[in-house]
Amino acid sequence: MKYLQIAALVLLIAAAIFFSALGVGPLGRLQSAFLGLLSPLSHSGSVVKNSIGSLGTDLMTLDQLQSEYDRLLAENKKLRAENNGLRDLQQDNDHLRSVLGYRERSSFRLIPAVVMNHSAEAWWNTIKINRGSKDGIAPDMPVITDRGLVGKTTAVSDDMAEVVLVTDENCKVAANVEGTKEQGISAGARAPEGELQLAFLSKLADLQPGQKVYTAGVSGGIFPSGIALGTVKSFHARELDGEAILEPAADLGTLDDVFVVTGAK
Amino acid sequence: MRTTLLFLILLVLLPISIVVQDQLPPIPPMQERIFLLPILFCFGALALPLIPALFFALATALVQGLALLQIQSGQIELGLVGPIVFFLGWTVILQMLSEATHGMRWEFHAFGSFLVTFTLLAGEFLILCVKRGGFPVDEMVLFRMAVPSAAALLIAPLLYLLLSSLVPYATEPVPGQGRPGFGNSGLEL
Repeated sequence: MKYLQIAALVLLIAAAIFFSALGVGPLGRLQSAFLGLLSPLSHSGSVVKNSIGSLGTDLMTLDQLQSEYDRLLAENKKLRAENNGLRDLQQDNDHLRSVLGYRERSSFRLIPAVVMNHSAEAWWNTIKINRGSKDGIAPDMPVITDRGLVGKTTAVSDDMAEVVLVTDENCKVAANVEGTKEQGISAGARAPEGELQLAFLSKLADLQPGQKVYTAGVSGGIFPSGIALGTVKSFHARELDGEAILEPAADLGTLDDVFVVTGAK
Repeated sequence: MRTTLLFLILLVLLPISIVVQDQLPPIPPMQERIFLLPILFCFGALALPLIPALFFALATALVQGLALLQIQSGQIELGLVGPIVFFLGWTVILQMLSEATHGMRWEFHAFGSFLVTFTLLAGEFLILCVKRGGFPVDEMVLFRMAVPSAAALLIAPLLYLLLSSLVPYATEPVPGQGRPGFGNSGLEL
């Protein structure tokens, strides 16, 4: 029996050394396989979470239900009256809506995706989306919403991808400030707080709160130029450069639907 | 047979714990996350005999390492070495504790979950500081380590109760063999 214990320990040490010695390529493939394994569980978890969430918001007291019923009844009458006059315009309206839809308006080729969850991590700020390599997603693709930049894809499995958010310290974005010649590099903090730090600005930069910041689109970079990144909240000069604190353009706390940029149109 | 069944149940629960902790809402006001994996790991490290516990630690390290793996510009930020060393080390410590107390107790599981969570987050932070440079310890960083650890301390008894109900014999000594641990590898079960 002692031999069995020794054999088990040798096997354990061999396995530990094998996994410790894996390089970038094999580790990346192992992570993709792991994400593929988690994918059905994550999809189910996301559905259950949404069902539970909607259950909580759907529960109302009898008084609230009566009040809601009265309001909807009045609204129904009003809408029915309005609808008679608007029927002819419906077709035109639908057409205009689709023309104005962000996907159509955008100058990028976009793949829509649904956010499955915010990953439970302390030092990284990532989300998982329900699109993967089967949909044409690859690592290092920009992810945006109609309001601005969200982040970039990192690990990708067949039908799920991980997106590192702009508020992560690892997601560095070259950016310029609207109405100025100021350019800098934005990143999040090590313990992400939901703000961006735009560093390497001029010490004498005259930035005002509310100024918009857009991606600069440097050559060889991941992010195309002109995507809204955030809004200046404050600016302070440091020893060697200036740093602005930005409020992200996209509401990263309540992300539901995003678009993955797969290229230009 | 009992050990094998417990080992397999805990192994299946590992990826499930990752998915569930991803779905759990953050704790306001600073949006701290709740980590279930360290709590589950502590249960396995205390309840399983030494050799299966070490294999369980390796499985935990792989799951945790792959969930956190970040490859940036062809560089691995946090690979599998750190988690493997960390979880194997804690398994040895928890097994010694379990051996010293002649059995598994919920208090040790709760306190162990607190310590494992805290040291896991602190270790990740230190590795990031080495890799990225700088040592920006501020109030937010301390909250990021303290709140999930305190949450683990509070949640651990619930998970202990749940797992004890699911696998009633997990917290009981093996009949005729006493408490599994260093003196009993568990392979003869």
